[in-house]
Amino acid sequence: MMRLIYLVGVVLVITVQQAAAIDFGETLKEVLKSGVEEKIAAENKETAAPQVASSENKTILNWGNPSVEEEIQIGRQITGNLLGAAPLVKDDALQKYVNQVGRWVANQSERADLPWHFGVIDTEDINAFSAPGGYVVITKGLYRKLQNEAQLAGVLAHEIAHVVRSHHLKLLQKTQLLDLGAGLLSKKIGQNHEIIEKVIGRGAEVCARSLDQSAEFEADRMGVVLTARAGYEPYGLPEVLQIIGQTAEGDNSVALLFKTHPHPDDRLVKLDEAIGDRFDAVKNGKTLEKRFYKLKD
Amino acid sequence: MKFIKCILGVVLMSLWLPVMSQAAETGSALKADVLRQEPYSDALKIGNLARGETLQILNKKGAWLKVKTTQATGWVRLLSVKRGSAALFNPVKGVWDVASGRAGTGKVVATTGVRGLNEEELKNARYNEAEVKKMEHYIQTIQEGQQFAKKGGLKAIKFPYLPSPQGGGEP
Repeated sequence: MMRLIYLVGVVLVITVQQAAAIDFGETLKEVLKSGVEEKIAAENKETAAPQVASSENKTILNWGNPSVEEEIQIGRQITGNLLGAAPLVKDDALQKYVNQVGRWVANQSERADLPWHFGVIDTEDINAFSAPGGYVVITKGLYRKLQNEAQLAGVLAHEIAHVVRSHHLKLLQKTQLLDLGAGLLSKKIGQNHEIIEKVIGRGAEVCARSLDQSAEFEADRMGVVLTARAGYEPYGLPEVLQIIGQTAEGDNSVALLFKTHPHPDDRLVKLDEAIGDRFDAVKNGKTLEKRFYKLKD
Repeated sequence: MKFIKCILGVVLMSLWLPVMSQAAETGSALKADVLRQEPYSDALKIGNLARGETLQILNKKGAWLKVKTTQATGWVRLLSVKRGSAALFNPVKGVWDVASGRAGTGKVVATTGVRGLNEEELKNARYNEAEVKKMEHYIQTIQEGQQFAKKGGLKAIKFPYLPSPQGGGEP
């Protein structure tokens, strides 16, 4: 367990280091300056071209194909960091409700066996996140925009799709961070408990990173299908995209969402191309606006 | 008499206001499409929509919206319409253009609206074990999910994933 936490920490260190071109936190800078940065840079040079190296690199731990248990631990760590940035809304009935809707939608996926967890976090930002192992978080700001249960199901279904297709896990693997991290862990960082400890406590920045656009479009396509499979009207997710698309780009509440996702208009066009008339035969899908849980404030 | 006129005016105004507030929502066409007489793909074609054309949204039925353009009123697919009056996204300029800071500094300039969950906050977030435990406490089992669905009259259906129109990727 401890070993795993170390590793996740390493992943976060390097993740942030990779994102250095975008922005770099002072605290992390300090941490990295204590020698780790140079070591990582050296290691990076050694492994040169990422694509080639990933197949040749010998991993110490099996990070190319983590077990379900390991996947859940990675997701749990990331979710804990995210909840450190914004805690859950203090409303048991709300949290239970999103878990009920989310669980039912997740039941329709290939990974119904995961211990799925859903939560609404206390921020007016408009966004939703997922982490490996079945952790899904939606912001209060986005929840506030929803009008019925089918729309909530659509949003959760998009995030469930990211987990089912291991999009975030692949992102970490693609950049070779996990393999490299394992190497560093045993060779160097393993001796420096303090650095890891410091970094684990900071860094849900992985939640601020973009996936490939194709991964977002794929999650949209799967999201509408999971919504339909669950017996809802399939257009819950596109309706939410239409609502979000109305929010001005300069509005801070959508800054991160717009930065990390294709524009809602573009997502709607892509969904339209994929759907065509395929849903015409789906009748009696429900929206359940009456059951939709209303926020207390 | 003047008083009565005044009262009458207020009453008329109050009757008028709800009508005003129900004024049709505006929107625009995301792509060129066909307007149909009924909300079915084989219904009679009664007009065309040009990309970017503004319209009024009058009604919704399943995957269809009833819209009014300057030329006609008819049904169009929901996914062909962008709601609201915000300018249309320009795919020619590229999606990267949307968030101007994307490839740049990544610093989002504060303009309007509420404070978002920004990168700075995420970066400085400290792991919160108590909140994770709390989140995990709300877990629902597969069976509880089924019961919840049943209460709402939701029935699961079989439906295959949609293939990527661009090809590639998993279906």
